[in-house]
Amino acid sequence: MANSIRLFVRESWLLIVSSFLFGLLLAVTDAAWSPRIVQNELNKFNKLAAALFGKEGTTFEPIEGISLNSSKGQPIPVDVRKAMLNGQCIGWAFMAEGSGFAGPIRLVVAADAGFEKILGFGTLVCNETPGFGDKIKIRGGFYEKQYQGAPVGPFALTKAGDPAAIDSTIVAITGATVTSDAVVAIFNRYAVAIQTQMKAKGLLSHGQ
Amino acid sequence: MANDAQTLSSAQVVWNGLFKENPIFGLMLGMCPTLAVTTTLQAALTMGGCVIFVLICSNLMISAMRRQLKPHLRILMFTLTIAVFVTIADQFLKAYQPEMSEYLGAYIPLIIVNCLIICRAEACASKQGLRISVIDGLAMGVGFTLSLSLLAGIREILASGKLLGMTVLPLAEDGGWFVPWAGMGFPVGAFVTLGLLLGLVVHLTRKAKG
Repeated sequence: MANSIRLFVRESWLLIVSSFLFGLLLAVTDAAWSPRIVQNELNKFNKLAAALFGKEGTTFEPIEGISLNSSKGQPIPVDVRKAMLNGQCIGWAFMAEGSGFAGPIRLVVAADAGFEKILGFGTLVCNETPGFGDKIKIRGGFYEKQYQGAPVGPFALTKAGDPAAIDSTIVAITGATVTSDAVVAIFNRYAVAIQTQMKAKGLLSHGQ
Repeated sequence: MANDAQTLSSAQVVWNGLFKENPIFGLMLGMCPTLAVTTTLQAALTMGGCVIFVLICSNLMISAMRRQLKPHLRILMFTLTIAVFVTIADQFLKAYQPEMSEYLGAYIPLIIVNCLIICRAEACASKQGLRISVIDGLAMGVGFTLSLSLLAGIREILASGKLLGMTVLPLAEDGGWFVPWAGMGFPVGAFVTLGLLLGLVVHLTRKAKG
């Protein structure tokens, strides 16, 4: 046993020491830059959300206590914000995340003041295939437009249909079914759950 | 590929990195970013800057630990070292250049698997001293950046008539004569431009050798 440990240390001490030092270096870097990165993401969220409401001067107030259940049953907090203009609630914006074809997809979704209709979505993070899956990024494009004015889920994906019809059926992007399905799954996971919790907390009646 | 257990002068290392063993036109390494991020000069310069940083830092670290490296742990140590500096470069871009970070997307984290970096670690840094390793990292990085910039410059000008936002060729829609070549902004533009430049480099090299 002692010989095995000695052999292990002799063979791999450089790897262990390097891993520790590199980990320390990354921790220091992360501590120094993460506030700035978080602020950049927040700025992007606000910019995207404001564009979804299309009204200048829109501000966002964070709403606490909205969460989703993880697969292990633990609550995951969701970033939900109340969109305010001239002291009035004009809608809601929330951040939603899921797995796409080429990694995580993070969206900003806007809903109306009663949380009954989706106003649209913008992409915070999307590394989907250029020319195919990344078409979800196009604001007002064929795919995103199907959500504008649609009821708050659940949505179903179809490969053939009328994309001009604003309903709960979403027509997939040709050649990017996985990405299209991922966005639908994100909506189905977040939108109805958030709506239910906000109704339960009485936020929607106050919002209007 | 040079540098294997050779004694090289700094000038030779610089010459190799910039011209003789230029990563793109000589060794043809790191072709993924070469084809993917050369749509604009700004993106190419950012990618080049990150590669220079990672090459210098990883070469420096690997050269410093070269006498302790066990042969069977060699590649693991190279990858670990490279991954750390790529993560730092990625975090830096996210903090200070968020738009460019988003534009370059997965290509910055993918520097970890860029053949150029691991090739220099294996061929140079693990065999040479600190000074030569750092100079090699710098020369190879600058050679890579210059090649990317050349490719990106040509593509950006032909695709939009502009370079870094400044008009270079007067556009027909603004009363000029140049009609942008949309294809230059797509992958096909990268392949065509790279192929033509490689042909030119081979031609000039043969001519120089007589």
